[in-house]
Amino acid sequence: MKHVGKIIAVGMVVMAVSGFAFAKNSALDKIKKSGVLKVGVKEDVPKFGYLNPSTNEHEGFEIDLAKAIAKKIFGDETKIKFTGVTAKTRGPLLDTGEVDLVLATFTVTDARRKVYDFSDIYFTDAVGIMTKKASGIKSFADLNGKTIGVAQSATTKKALQEGADKAGITIKFSEYATYPEIKTALDSGRIDAFSVDQAILLGYMEDSVMLLPEHFEEQPYGAAIKKGNTELLNLVNGVIEDMKKNGELDSLLAKNGLK
Amino acid sequence: MNSFLTFDTTLFLLRGLGITLVIASCTIVLSFILGSVLGIARYSGKGPAAKIAVLYIDTIRNIPLLLFIIGFRFTMPLPPVVSAVTAMTVFTSAMVAEIVRGGLNGISHGQWEAAYSQGFSYIGTLVHVVLPQAVRKIRKPLMGQFVTAIKDTSFCSVIAVKELMYSGTIIMGKYVKSIQVIALYAVIALVYFSVNMLLLALSKKMIKEQE
Amino acid sequence: MFDLSRWQELFQNLNVFAEGFGVTVSVSILSLIFMLLISLVVGLLRCSENRAVRACLLAYINFFQNTPLVIQILFMYNVLPRAGVMLSPFTCGLLGLSLYTGAFGASIVEAAIKAVPKGQHEAAYSQGMNYTQTMFLIVLPQAVRIALPPLANQCVNMIKNSSVLALIAGGDLMYRADSWASDNLYYTQSFIFTGLLYLALCLPVSKWAERLEKKAAHI
Repeated sequence: MKHVGKIIAVGMVVMAVSGFAFAKNSALDKIKKSGVLKVGVKEDVPKFGYLNPSTNEHEGFEIDLAKAIAKKIFGDETKIKFTGVTAKTRGPLLDTGEVDLVLATFTVTDARRKVYDFSDIYFTDAVGIMTKKASGIKSFADLNGKTIGVAQSATTKKALQEGADKAGITIKFSEYATYPEIKTALDSGRIDAFSVDQAILLGYMEDSVMLLPEHFEEQPYGAAIKKGNTELLNLVNGVIEDMKKNGELDSLLAKNGLK
Repeated sequence: MNSFLTFDTTLFLLRGLGITLVIASCTIVLSFILGSVLGIARYSGKGPAAKIAVLYIDTIRNIPLLLFIIGFRFTMPLPPVVSAVTAMTVFTSAMVAEIVRGGLNGISHGQWEAAYSQGFSYIGTLVHVVLPQAVRKIRKPLMGQFVTAIKDTSFCSVIAVKELMYSGTIIMGKYVKSIQVIALYAVIALVYFSVNMLLLALSKKMIKEQE
Repeated sequence: MFDLSRWQELFQNLNVFAEGFGVTVSVSILSLIFMLLISLVVGLLRCSENRAVRACLLAYINFFQNTPLVIQILFMYNVLPRAGVMLSPFTCGLLGLSLYTGAFGASIVEAAIKAVPKGQHEAAYSQGMNYTQTMFLIVLPQAVRIALPPLANQCVNMIKNSSVLALIAGGDLMYRADSWASDNLYYTQSFIFTGLLYLALCLPVSKWAERLEKKAAHI
């Protein structure tokens, strides 16, 4: 019986040592082991990342892109778990590891590159401004002294401020946590304009509002990955490049009404 | 008037209500357990447990729930609902702890002395004599705290958890006419109101039956 | 969290937090005044002999106690403007906090008035005082002493609830902390510092409430 104890002890040491060896896995291996790709996506931007209230399914261009990436990793595009994010939450969720990848109309900027790794650009949008038709505001210059509603943590504030400085007008900002709140604030007259990437604005268009003709700073979208996760980054870039080459990216854009 | 109460939106709101109740119930159960432990620890007044309890309660009780909800969501790798429940539990347990301590304080020393004279230990007295009486005293403030938990779930709308308030906000983003917006707010307020009144009525009935 | 450079930046931007702190303090103090007024008046009227008055006020109390503060504030922010009433976010917060916390305060005052022994009323009447004199000279002072500890607790709740201003771009401490953190992505630092600021604001009031409770227990 004494020997059984020794065998168990040796066995445990062996397991511990091999545990250490396996622990040096890359993040990509961890994803493969977990069997599912965790992706942060928008749920309120029609055509990009939208949770359809009738079907309770995620749909949109970024959803399709995420599925293609999952297919590349697992050979199966259903091995994917979507988490709804907002402009505020998408960055931190990457940091904490709650999601492996963020495909959520995330604009790539130099400042953000310092904090996250971004894939190649898969779509370029621009900042747009929505106003009420009844307000009589017809151009950016009309917004002098007015209040513009923006989402917290979005690049919109900076882009608009630069535009305002160039045009020589002053603008004020009201920040909100989610887009529906900004639209409601516009409707109730709390703010004079609602500004964010055009793709997102389009989801809130209806009869009483209009888009101003001016666009601001191009907003290139990239997939965001935790800094240092090079293997996943290369894989994602590979997928995007392949899709650009063989036309799959274009057909996805067309399928989602973005072309 | 274009009724916004289509089948889809009603279902969407009902799902939101479901999430609200799930968050509130988990918070209530977990904070009751944690809060009782903390409240008893603080009441006992001796040893490191009491000191930790005092530190926890005094700190948490003086910070807004909103800060916990936003803070936890951004710094912890938890799914949205779990993060919300954690934040609310941490906050609510501090409140429950104070309620429990208040109840324990209300038990006269005579009870303790009588129990000791019968040979009960500290824990024995606590479990068999003091706690049962304290629980009866704190039923009302506890119910109040639970109603507050249901209302507090509305703060979780800032982290885009699809409870009732945020679900309503999403729908509101699509509707523009004043009367629709007013009606939507009215419906949501009515739902919270009814749920809470129902809860209070049920608890009153339970208390009556036990007496 | 221990990134010193982030903390450095925070302290260089103290004015952001200071502005927010100022808004939080001012809305709390003003709401406190209104809340106490509402609590006293409504609590008193809830003890009146007029059934209609009691019923109306019960409706007010029940409604405000059982609906979330969030929806009350959002209603004022997004719905009233459509009726032509455009209140500043600060005013919305002020009104919302006063009415909401006032409903709880009113219940507390009502219970406190009813807790004053009937003997006091009888003694006063036997001395020839009428209802009003009895109420204001004899009952109310005692009721206030009973009501003070739970009212102090409600004060702390109210200061915490002032954070609801953050949802309507109200410029309070929570809004500024969130805004600054979102701009710089320095979340942990911002929120820890904000927590400490709220602690500094609320802890004294809590301790005062605790002392009141201890004094009341010895009566």
